[in-house]
Amino acid sequence: MGQTPRSSRAKRYAFPALATAAALFAPVLSGNASAQLAPAASSSAGASATFALPPNAAPNWIFPIGTPGHLAGYNIAVQNELFVPLYNYDTSSGTFALDEKVSAAKPPVYSNGDKTVTITLQKLKWSDGQPVTSRDVQFWYNLVKADKTQWGNYSQGQLPDNISKFTVLSPTTFRLQLTQAYNPGWFTANQLVYITPIPQQAWDRESAKGPVGNFDMTTAGAKKVFSYLVSQSSRLASYASSPLWRVTDGPFQLKTFTTSGYVTLVKSSSYRGPEPARLSSVTLEPFASDEAEFNALRSGEVDYGYIPTADIPQVGAIKASGYTVQPWVGWAISYIPYNFNNPTMGPVFKQLYVRQAVQSAINQQTIADVIWHGYAAVGYGPVPQTPPSSFLSKVQAKNPYPYNLKRSKSLLASHGWTSGPGGVLQCTSPGAGAGHCGAGIAKGTKLAFTVLSESGSTETNNMMQYLQSTLSSVGIGLSVKYEPLNQVLDQTSACKPNQASCSWQGSFFGTQGSWYFPAYPSGEQLFLSGASANFGSYSNPAADKLIQETNVSSSATAMQAYSALLAQDLPVMWLPNPDYQVSAIRSSLKGVLQNPGASFMQIEHWYVSKG
Amino acid sequence: MRSPFGWFLLKRLAQAVVVVFFVTLIVFGLLHALPGGVARGILGAQASNAEIASFNRAQGFDKPLPVQYWMYLSRLLHANLGTSYKLNQSVGSLIASRLPRTLVLTGVSTAVAFVVAVPLGVWQAIRRRRLADYVITTGAFVGYATPVYFLALLLVIVFNADLHLLPSQVPGTYNLGQLLAHPSVLVLPVVTLAVPTIAVFSRYTRSAVLDNLSEDYTRTARAKGAPERRVVGIHVLRNSLTPVIAMLGYYVPVMFSGAIVVEEIFNFPGMGLLFWNAAQTSDYPVLLGVILLIALATVTGSLLADIAQAVADPRVRSGLK
Repeated sequence: MGQTPRSSRAKRYAFPALATAAALFAPVLSGNASAQLAPAASSSAGASATFALPPNAAPNWIFPIGTPGHLAGYNIAVQNELFVPLYNYDTSSGTFALDEKVSAAKPPVYSNGDKTVTITLQKLKWSDGQPVTSRDVQFWYNLVKADKTQWGNYSQGQLPDNISKFTVLSPTTFRLQLTQAYNPGWFTANQLVYITPIPQQAWDRESAKGPVGNFDMTTAGAKKVFSYLVSQSSRLASYASSPLWRVTDGPFQLKTFTTSGYVTLVKSSSYRGPEPARLSSVTLEPFASDEAEFNALRSGEVDYGYIPTADIPQVGAIKASGYTVQPWVGWAISYIPYNFNNPTMGPVFKQLYVRQAVQSAINQQTIADVIWHGYAAVGYGPVPQTPPSSFLSKVQAKNPYPYNLKRSKSLLASHGWTSGPGGVLQCTSPGAGAGHCGAGIAKGTKLAFTVLSESGSTETNNMMQYLQSTLSSVGIGLSVKYEPLNQVLDQTSACKPNQASCSWQGSFFGTQGSWYFPAYPSGEQLFLSGASANFGSYSNPAADKLIQETNVSSSATAMQAYSALLAQDLPVMWLPNPDYQVSAIRSSLKGVLQNPGASFMQIEHWYVSKG
Repeated sequence: MRSPFGWFLLKRLAQAVVVVFFVTLIVFGLLHALPGGVARGILGAQASNAEIASFNRAQGFDKPLPVQYWMYLSRLLHANLGTSYKLNQSVGSLIASRLPRTLVLTGVSTAVAFVVAVPLGVWQAIRRRRLADYVITTGAFVGYATPVYFLALLLVIVFNADLHLLPSQVPGTYNLGQLLAHPSVLVLPVVTLAVPTIAVFSRYTRSAVLDNLSEDYTRTARAKGAPERRVVGIHVLRNSLTPVIAMLGYYVPVMFSGAIVVEEIFNFPGMGLLFWNAAQTSDYPVLLGVILLIALATVTGSLLADIAQAVADPRVRSGLK
């Protein structure tokens, strides 16, 4: 699951369908657009809705196997309405969990010491009348296996590398032999979730005019098929007209798709699953800017939009015009990584007491309430703090380092840091023993560092100013350098102390959440020694062991132990996690599940209440 | 014998080619000197180093800069502007879809501004230092000083949110034909863009007309008994248009580059937003494509302005060599 950047989202008078929607939505209802799914009887057949897409989020990829750079959230959201993924997670049960009704298969059965997975498909049909079979899953597997580096979700050692054998047992059942035992929770939520059955009977061809066959059964053939499908997916203008993308098994079909990302989905008459669409059509409307989206919201031209953070003070006016305002909480965490390999500050960051002093000087609740206007959730560890889940340890939930400036000061003072010029602490008692600054910290070292922060957000700027102020009150100097997000990310890379690229000391790229997790929020990419996104080169053998356990052992408590350890060991500076967006949903539009994964909208649940 | 005008054209065209070449060279160099890799911008925080390396290889970023520039130039000579990393479309098709929309917006607003501003400026000059002149001058200053962003929001709030008279946005699915068939969608964006332009053009016209009104030829025309309407409408106006025509020429690149603020507020995805979004995501092919187009528009605009001035002003014509 890729990060869903919204780095970076009309118009009812123009569209008859939307005018119909307007008429239906006219009686503004009180109450909220809760996540509760209503009985079908209360839905209004023939209704439609408009969803506002944020700037730079227009869908641009339809093929369910996304190549690198094409995994943005709204691509996945549209794909999932057309092609039912093998497994889908949402909050329909109250917690973020597997939802069988919107998945193509029944829950997987693990056996042989968690080395074998047997999966049985639900009774779904393709729109050409053919049933969805194990062969369709094998088709996906063969394509990805043949050209795995072209698949954007590929990570070495993971899917498809960790499947040693794919066996079709029957048209509806197949078996995966794994290369080793894996934690079933992790494997289902973070690996199987990527698989989507795709129509082999229609797509297994090497060219547009070529015949359909079993080309995917050889590596060379699979590569050609993959390449053909990728080339078709690069032709945005033909999405709605191409017969290829009309063979679907999802609750919706594609009616319109413009190159600017304007998408209309219509209810699929051929859908045979348990969750048919309740609305007859849904429009995803791309907006060129937050201002344009907010204007549309203000004029009532969208049914489901968002309030840009700059306009949060106008929540009251939006509510008064018939919208329910609901934060869309992300399944994410936000933080500032410490660069443990920075030649100057690395040795300082390596001291747990320094990290504790920093964390104790941060009042997350105030940041969330005041700076983020209440639209951020505190986060004290590596597992998303909201919504509640079985992964969250009590230690993390309770915050092991509550805001306490006194404690922060005494921690530093008791380790040989005394006030220097400008009030910034400096090490006056170097050395490794008790009461000293710590190994590798030279006498006179200043407790001051620079954070590279993404620019462009008032809230982020305010948060940085708050951090500067609160840290300076305990004698820690913080400078902030603002740059565009991609420049921040580019400079925030894991490095060795002698490399020029190791000059960064801290980095913030979480205006919309630093890291979005798949359903199982384990840390193998973030905090495992040498992991690809372990930007600060954090390394802790105890954490490595726990992370391995969360991936490969069947232990249900491994995630909690991991959550507790990293909440205490502070591999990064934990910060509040801003909501994915503050949604404004027309009060009559019900059934909206704001899934924390942020890339799944599950539009089939939406309906219009007649009031 | 060579015509001086033909020779002038040829010279200017050769200059234009050289200018455009240097523009591509400088922009290419500057873009690649910027910190912040493309790969991170496109692939995001979660991309592994291997993915980034593979992306850089696929795009040729692992090659030396001169080689990359040569590859870009040779693609350009084959009329291939490349493919956007972010939008999954060719730069050519992106420009083809955005440019006509932008040209309608900027073209109509410039035309409106011209049609309104020239008579306004002339009228002001005739009524110099009377109440009407002061009122219009004040209005022009206010129009010029008002930030476009503020003006646009004001228009949206009054004419869309309060009075429900005009749409606040241009439907994203509208093609050029539909856009022209529903002129109401263009009213607010066009007015927003036209107001500051009217202010500028009317000031230029006023001052040029004032200058010409005190010229000897005007006095002569009046002395010969020509009616005032003829003096102003034929003699003075034609000579006064020279600076306005020069201004119009310099508006050509502005018209091609779009109007970011207006496009943003009215959800009108044109050239301005295309460029702005590409700049934020380091989408080099789009940036280069748009800049190339603007460079072409700039040299073409100034060329057209020179030609138009030559047509309007015999003194300019005689100066061509």
